Amino acid sequence: MKDPYETLGVQRDATPDDIRKAYRRLAKKLHPDLNPGNKDSEDRFKDAALANELLSDPDKRKRFDAGEIDASGTEKPRQRYYKDYAAEAPAGNSYNNRSGYADFGDTDDLFAELFRQQAQQSRRAAGADLRYRLTVDFLDAVNGANKRITLPDGGSLDVTIPRGIQEGQTLRLRGKGAKSAGAGAAGDALVEISILPHRFFTRRGDDIHVELPITLAEAALGARIKTPTPSGSVMLAIPKGSNTGVVLRLKGKGVAHRGGHGDELVTLKVMLPQQPNPELEAFLSTWAPGPSYDPRREMVS
Amino acid sequence: MIITRVEFLSRTKLDQRTLDIWIEEEWLIPEQFETDLAFSEADIARVQLITDLTEEMGVNHEGVGIILHLLDQVYGLRSAVADLLDTAKNQAEVTPEKS
Repeated sequence: MKDPYETLGVQRDATPDDIRKAYRRLAKKLHPDLNPGNKDSEDRFKDAALANELLSDPDKRKRFDAGEIDASGTEKPRQRYYKDYAAEAPAGNSYNNRSGYADFGDTDDLFAELFRQQAQQSRRAAGADLRYRLTVDFLDAVNGANKRITLPDGGSLDVTIPRGIQEGQTLRLRGKGAKSAGAGAAGDALVEISILPHRFFTRRGDDIHVELPITLAEAALGARIKTPTPSGSVMLAIPKGSNTGVVLRLKGKGVAHRGGHGDELVTLKVMLPQQPNPELEAFLSTWAPGPSYDPRREMVS
Repeated sequence: MIITRVEFLSRTKLDQRTLDIWIEEEWLIPEQFETDLAFSEADIARVQLITDLTEEMGVNHEGVGIILHLLDQVYGLRSAVADLLDTAKNQAEVTPEKS
């Protein structure tokens, strides 16, 4: 690391104003964005910036003069410069300006041809893609739907949600983006879908999961129960003696996908009456299920 | 990678009024995303450049516009030259050797 006074070209007794002026003079000459492609000036600018950071802070400068810190102690990596982005930007980005070659236009040399081709390309370049986000109901995502997005400019965009669309999926609407600045095609609209949760359905892959509360009698005796599915209610046969946690499968009642359907998986949940029920209590106190009924058998070691 | 207006303001430490002026002056040209503006990493680096110009080099408001305009032409020219060199190189490669 070079001596910071030397880097800035100032005397050791330079005033803060001298230092500021010296750094400003170097920055104007050496700033990497003003010297794209010149590695030497970038390195010299970094040295100058470092020297300035050290000497423009009275405390750091005092400690440096006293030999407590050395000149390299303050280094911190600078973020990338604008030139790095300008260099990798695609042709036709908002800032890159190639319009100043009209004076080359009526000669037929290589430059003129090249610039003419570029001008044509940028005239033919497609418009920009525009991004939107659309939130859809759970059931619309499963069953498909037609939605309309109202645009900031007052227009609207019709979006067909295909059946079984997934969270985060992006729909591309060709030609619905920004118009081309020249004679090119319009860009596309990209619509990112997010799906709202449902009150009782959840979705895992193509399967729909639902928890179905049943009464004690339905669980013990079996029953046919009206059960919701995304495509409407169906009658579900509960077998005799079905416990909480038993999973019943409704084939083909899940999310449609290419070439088939997922299933709906119904998890049963036995519910006692919400209010205390004297008749049930009276019955159970006289009921002896026998020694084989021990739900905690497996927990006894 | 899209940077929202709020995130952009917090990362660049600009205030909304300054941002409005800079966009009006076309120092920054953000994209439109849904109902709000969308920025890129390049926009953030550009803010840093503008800050360097005004704070470290003492360039005034009028000067910034002129410098950015010239710089954008320099970068346009640089990319045109890069394309030209590329084209020349490819043509050299496909030209058959004369026997």
